[in-house]
Amino acid sequence: MLIEQAVQTLNLNDPAIFKEWQAFLESLGITNFQANELQQIDTTLGMYNERGSLIATGSVAGNVLKYVGVCNKFSTQGSHFNSIVSALMNLLAQRGVFHLFVFTKVKYATSFQHVGFHELARTDLGVILETGDTGITDYVRRVAQVATDQDLTPASKVGAIVMNANPFTLGHRYLVEQAARENELVYVFVVNDDVSLFTTAERLALVKAGTTDLTNVVVVSGDQYMVSYVTFPAYFLPTQDDAIRYQTTLDARLFRDQIASALHITTRYLGSEPFSRTTGIYNQVLQTELPPAVTVKVIDRQTSGDNVITATQVRRALAADDLATVRDWVPATTYQFMQQHLTTLQARIQEGMNINGN
Amino acid sequence: MEIKKTAIAGTLESSDIQLMISQADSGIAIDLQSDVKKVFGDQIEAVITTTLNEMGVTAAKVKAVDKGALDCVIKARTIAAVQRAAETTATPAWEVL
Repeated sequence: MLIEQAVQTLNLNDPAIFKEWQAFLESLGITNFQANELQQIDTTLGMYNERGSLIATGSVAGNVLKYVGVCNKFSTQGSHFNSIVSALMNLLAQRGVFHLFVFTKVKYATSFQHVGFHELARTDLGVILETGDTGITDYVRRVAQVATDQDLTPASKVGAIVMNANPFTLGHRYLVEQAARENELVYVFVVNDDVSLFTTAERLALVKAGTTDLTNVVVVSGDQYMVSYVTFPAYFLPTQDDAIRYQTTLDARLFRDQIASALHITTRYLGSEPFSRTTGIYNQVLQTELPPAVTVKVIDRQTSGDNVITATQVRRALAADDLATVRDWVPATTYQFMQQHLTTLQARIQEGMNINGN
Repeated sequence: MEIKKTAIAGTLESSDIQLMISQADSGIAIDLQSDVKKVFGDQIEAVITTTLNEMGVTAAKVKAVDKGALDCVIKARTIAAVQRAAETTATPAWEVL
């Protein structure tokens, strides 16, 4: 008879433990051990059999489960899997995290559904699921409520834009204006992850401040459902093209099947993307995945003189202490904010905040 | 008893049930996942609801993942989750037990 082993924490900084952990996962077909993936891991748990070999493992990165792998050779179907997932959930509960996601291979999706996870999107290569005290249904209900509070529902022509707005420029504003003109209601979803020069709260506030006159526009957080570390980590981390394509496909399908259908979104607006390779691929994938359910409209970038307006240029001007050069590129509200918080923003750049990414 | 925050009790091991209790505006809503839901779903939900009523919980959202737990286990896990969610673990409601 097998003695059931307790779940324990694995110290991946120990080279011997790391090597065994990696070999175990590789034997199960998990092969991405790039530094940028590994750096995100907060805690790794594992179970050993009586001979001291690893038989199950799982990790958490924020509220995302990663590197879950289980060898079922000597166990009742699924029992080690359930032990590991249970231990990871209890670990997160101690940290006050009750809403979690997993990004996994198609063959494991059913196992996660058996322990209460709800599928958000899938491709041939992977599935995103979530579980916990809140979920996508609560999110779309909250978003719809904001539109209802502004007397904008029901609407038959509904537009949507997803933006990081780091910070909100006249380029963003132009895109919103186009959408506002062509629709009864426009949702602007602001990227939620707080990894940009302008914080999530600042970006959200500046988008709101810069669009107050557009009465049919609703500005909300994209939460973890749009361009987030969960759906689209490559937006924030350097990644190979095939991985970007795969992640953006999941992000696009999640938008199409969970967000657009529930909020009756008919058109998604994109800014043309001449500079960022990642965003360029994302735009292509959205154009493949969203129609016919959601029409995709690509709006050419707004220009100022000969220059295309980009938030990257605005951030560079901040870094170079040359704010006046971008005065005509941003709404007055964004400009005032940058003037008032110049030292704070420049200090963030000094401390190493990357201004050339997204 | 008022649910003040989300709390979890139990595990996903065989013969156990994992219960997550969180705030709700009114009423008790149970989302149950169980391989034996067809046969025992109503019974499991009844045990959870009765236990919540006995503890004076009138508004709560419950997510339950059952792995074949007996009624006494379901009751114990419900009590534990409520006490954590209501922040009353230091003063257990013995009369419910």
